Amino acid sequence: MDLKKLKPVFLAVIIVFAVVGVTLYMGTYFSGLLFILLALVLYAAFRYYYDGKEVLISLLKKGLQGLMVPVIGIVIAIIIGAVVMLISNYDPVAAYKALFYGAFVRNWHISVLNAAPLMFTGLSVALAFHAGLFNIGAEGQYYIGAMAATYLGLYVKLPPFLSLALIFILAGLLASAWNIIPAVLKVRTGAHEVITTMMFAHIARYLSPIFIRANGGDPATSTHAYVTTELPESNWLPRFNAFLPDANYRLHVGILIGIVVALLVYYLLYYTKVGFEIRAVGENKDAARAQGISIGRSILIALLIAGFLAGLAGVNQVVGLDHKLYQNLDANYGWNGISVALLAGSHPIGVIFTALLWGALDAGGQYMARVTQTSNSIVEIIKGIILFLVVAKYIYAYVGNRIRRARKKRRAEAKEAV
Amino acid sequence: MSKQSERRVILETRDIVKQFPRVLANNRISIKLHENEILSLLGENGAGKSTLMNILYGLYTPTSGSIHLNGEEVQFHSPKDAIEKGLGMVHQHFMLVDPLTVTENIILGAEPGKGGTIDYKQARKEVVELSEKYGLHVNPDAPVETLSVGIQQRVEILKALYRQAKILILDEPTAVLTPQEVDELFQVISELRKGGVSIIIITHKLEEVKAISDRVYILRGGEMVGERITADTTTAQLANLMVGRDVVLTVEKKEKKAGDSPVFQIEDLRVLNIKKFPAVDGLSLEVKPGEIVGIAGVDGNGQSELAEAIMGLLPVENGKISHLGEDITQLTTKQRISRSISYVPSDRQRFGLVLPMTIGENIMMGYHDRPPNSKGLRLNYSYINSHAEELSKSFDIRTPDVQNPAGKLSGGNQQKVILAREFSRDPTFLLVSQPTRGLDVGAIEYIHSQILAMRDNNVGILLISLELEEIFSLSDRILVLYEGKIVKEFKPEETTDKQVGFYMTGGKE
Repeated sequence: MDLKKLKPVFLAVIIVFAVVGVTLYMGTYFSGLLFILLALVLYAAFRYYYDGKEVLISLLKKGLQGLMVPVIGIVIAIIIGAVVMLISNYDPVAAYKALFYGAFVRNWHISVLNAAPLMFTGLSVALAFHAGLFNIGAEGQYYIGAMAATYLGLYVKLPPFLSLALIFILAGLLASAWNIIPAVLKVRTGAHEVITTMMFAHIARYLSPIFIRANGGDPATSTHAYVTTELPESNWLPRFNAFLPDANYRLHVGILIGIVVALLVYYLLYYTKVGFEIRAVGENKDAARAQGISIGRSILIALLIAGFLAGLAGVNQVVGLDHKLYQNLDANYGWNGISVALLAGSHPIGVIFTALLWGALDAGGQYMARVTQTSNSIVEIIKGIILFLVVAKYIYAYVGNRIRRARKKRRAEAKEAV
Repeated sequence: MSKQSERRVILETRDIVKQFPRVLANNRISIKLHENEILSLLGENGAGKSTLMNILYGLYTPTSGSIHLNGEEVQFHSPKDAIEKGLGMVHQHFMLVDPLTVTENIILGAEPGKGGTIDYKQARKEVVELSEKYGLHVNPDAPVETLSVGIQQRVEILKALYRQAKILILDEPTAVLTPQEVDELFQVISELRKGGVSIIIITHKLEEVKAISDRVYILRGGEMVGERITADTTTAQLANLMVGRDVVLTVEKKEKKAGDSPVFQIEDLRVLNIKKFPAVDGLSLEVKPGEIVGIAGVDGNGQSELAEAIMGLLPVENGKISHLGEDITQLTTKQRISRSISYVPSDRQRFGLVLPMTIGENIMMGYHDRPPNSKGLRLNYSYINSHAEELSKSFDIRTPDVQNPAGKLSGGNQQKVILAREFSRDPTFLLVSQPTRGLDVGAIEYIHSQILAMRDNNVGILLISLELEEIFSLSDRILVLYEGKIVKEFKPEETTDKQVGFYMTGGKE
C-alpha cells in the first residue's frame, strides 16, 4: 500500500476534524474539544510519518517555547490577583471558581461573542506591527466599519448571502479608506501613524452619534434616540442555533469568520510576496530598500489592510450581534485589540487564542461579580499584569541568566570543594 | 631581551575564564604587562581579545581567575574602578561628544572646580600642559566635530591621561586611520612610553604588531596560543599562530586584460547628503568588464553617498549614470537590480540583511517577485530553501539550516550570504563596498578570492574600501576619492600606500 499517495486524503481528514471540532466548540458544544484534540493528534502523527521524528520534535519544542512566556504570565497574574483579593477581603478561591466557571463553561457563549470583534482588531494591530507600524487607530476604523455596515444593512436588498458578502467587503474597504490619509502622510512626510490614526479615530468615534441620528435615531420619530433602526433579518449573520439547536440564541458565526481571517492573514504574511515585503520593511527598512522593495508601498498596503481588518470588527458587531448601531463610545474594541495583538506577539494564529482569552476574562469577570460580589476590576488588574509580564519579555531573559549564572557558580564551587 | 624579565610587572591576569552562554570567550588566559612596555594582543575576531580587555576595564566580571595590579589582587566592578586604579581605554568607536570642545570632552566626568561650577581656565591649562608633555598636539578650543579622526583619537588618549592613566589600552587603534595618521599614532605611543605609560594594543593587524610592540600574545578561539618577543618573530609566523594554519597573506591575482567598452560609467555626478550638502561633487569614472576599480579614501569623503546614488537609494542632483551604454540615472533600485547590477553594501547588518529573517529569505530578497522564487502572489519556499542550500554549499556558509535567521550567523558567514545572493545573480556590474570590514583573516581571504573570480568572469567591479591594503591587493586601477571628487588615478604596481595616502588626505602636487 502506498501511503504517500494518501497524503492529501489524510490532510483532508485532519482538516474536517478540525473544522467540525472548532465549529462545535465555538457553538458551546464542548464535545468539539474531542474533535480538536483528535485533529491535533492526527496532525502530529501526520508530521511524524511524512517528515520524521526530528521535524515533529522541533515543531513541538517551538510550540512549547511559544507558550512558555504567556503561560507563566497568566499564572503569575492569577497569583497576584489572589493576593489583591485577599488584601481586599474577598475569597480568591470562590472568586476564581466563579471566574473560570463563568468564562469557560457557563457563559462560554459570551466569551465567544466578546472575542469575535477583538480577533479582528487584534489582527489589524498585529499586521501593522509586522510592518513596523502601530495602528493605534483601530478603534476609529471599527466605528467606520460599524457605520458602513449599518448603512448598507439598512438599504442593500440582495439575496441573503450575497448582501452579507457585499456588506463585509464594502464596509471593510471604507474602514481601510479611513487609513488612506494617515498612510499617505506617513509615506510622504513621515508623519507618525500613532498621532494621525489616533486623531482619525477620534473623528470616527464622534461621527457615530451623528450617523445614528440620521439613520433612525431621531428623537422626534424614534422611541430611542441613541440607536438606529434595526437591520432587516435577511442581512443578519447566521447563528449557531440554526444548525446547533442548543446554542445560545444570540451566538452568531462571526467568530468562525474571525478564525478564517486569522488564517488568511497568517498566509498573507508568511507565504506571499506582499507579506514578505511587509515583514522585510518592518524588520529592516534599509536592507529592504537596498533590495528594491518600496517602503512606501508596503506601509500603504499594511495600513490599508489593517484598516480593513479593524473595520470587519465593526461589521461583525452590527450584522452579527446587535443588528443595529447603538451609541456606545466605550466599547473599546480597538484599544483592546492592541492588548490582544501584543499578547499574541503579533502572530496571527496567536491572536485567535489571545482574543478568546480576553473575551473569556471579561465574560468570567461579569459572572464572578454577579455570583460572588467580587469587584469586576480584579479582572482588569489581572489583564494588566498578564500583558505586562508577557510584553516585558526581557524580564525572563534576565531571570534566566541569573538562574544559569547561580547554577554555574554552584557547580564551580562544588568542583573546587572536591 | 633579557631586560624584559627584569622589569617590574605592573598588570597581570591569572587564569582568566569568561564563559558566556554557549561561548567560552576566555579560557585560562594569563598575561603580564611590564612597566614601560608596549604589548600587543593579537587575534582574529572572536578570539577573545576584546573580552579580555573588557574584563580588565571592569566592563565584564570574569567567571573565574584574578587580576593583579602592582602585585595586589584587584576587582573591578565597573570602568570607574578601573579608571581609579590608573587604567585608561581608547575604544575603537570613540566616545566623544561632537559639539563640545576638546577641553570639555577631556574633562567630562572629571571636571575641576568647586561645587557645581567648572573652572574652565584651570581645565584648559591642564589640558595644554598634558598635550605638551606627551607631544599630543591638539587645539584645546576646537569643537570635536571639526577634527579629523586621527586628532579625535588623540583627544581620547588625552582623556585617559587626564584621569591619571598609567596603563593605556588601545582597541584596534589604526582601524580608522590613514597611513600618515598611523605613523603619527606610533610616534605618540613612543612618547607615551617615555612619559612612563605602559600600553596594550588590541589588534588583528600583523604589521602593526611588528612596527610598534615589544612583545605579543596571540589568542585563538579564546585560548592563549603563544607569546613572542616581537623582534624575534616574523609576520608569517604570527599569522600562522593567529589563524592556526598556513595563510596566504596576499591573494593571487592573475593577469587579465579588461574589456574595451565600459560596462558602467558615471559622468559629473553630484549627490547631496542628508544635510543637503554636496557629498559627491563632479565625480566621473568608468569601469570596464573584467577589471576591478578601487576607490581609496578616508571615511566620510562621499563613499556612502556614491554607493547609494549608484543603487538609486539617494537622488542624483546632477550628472549621469549609465550601465551597458544606457542611461540609468532615473531608474528605481528595483529596475537597477533587475539590470544585473549587484551591490554588496558596507554595513551588512543595516543595508545587507534583514537579520530576523531566514538565510533563504535573505538570499531571495530582491528577486522574490519573480519565478522560480514566487508564482503569482505565492512564494515558493521549497525552491527558495533548496536554492539557499545549494548556495550555502558553494559559498561555504556554515549553518546547520538555511531556515535559521541570518542574525544567528557570524559576521563572516553573514557576508557570505550577501555574496551568495549578489554573485549568484550573474551580474555584469558589481558594486562592492567594504566587503571585509570587521572580518577575520580566513574570511577575508575567501571573500577576496571570490571577488577576483568575478573579475576573471568578466564582471566590471567597483570596489570601495577604507582598507588601503585591500585596495592594493585587489584593484587593477586605483582612484583616490577626496571630498566627493576623484583627485588622482594610479596603477597599484606603480605607486605606494604613502603616495595614495597623501592624496587621500587632500595633498596636492
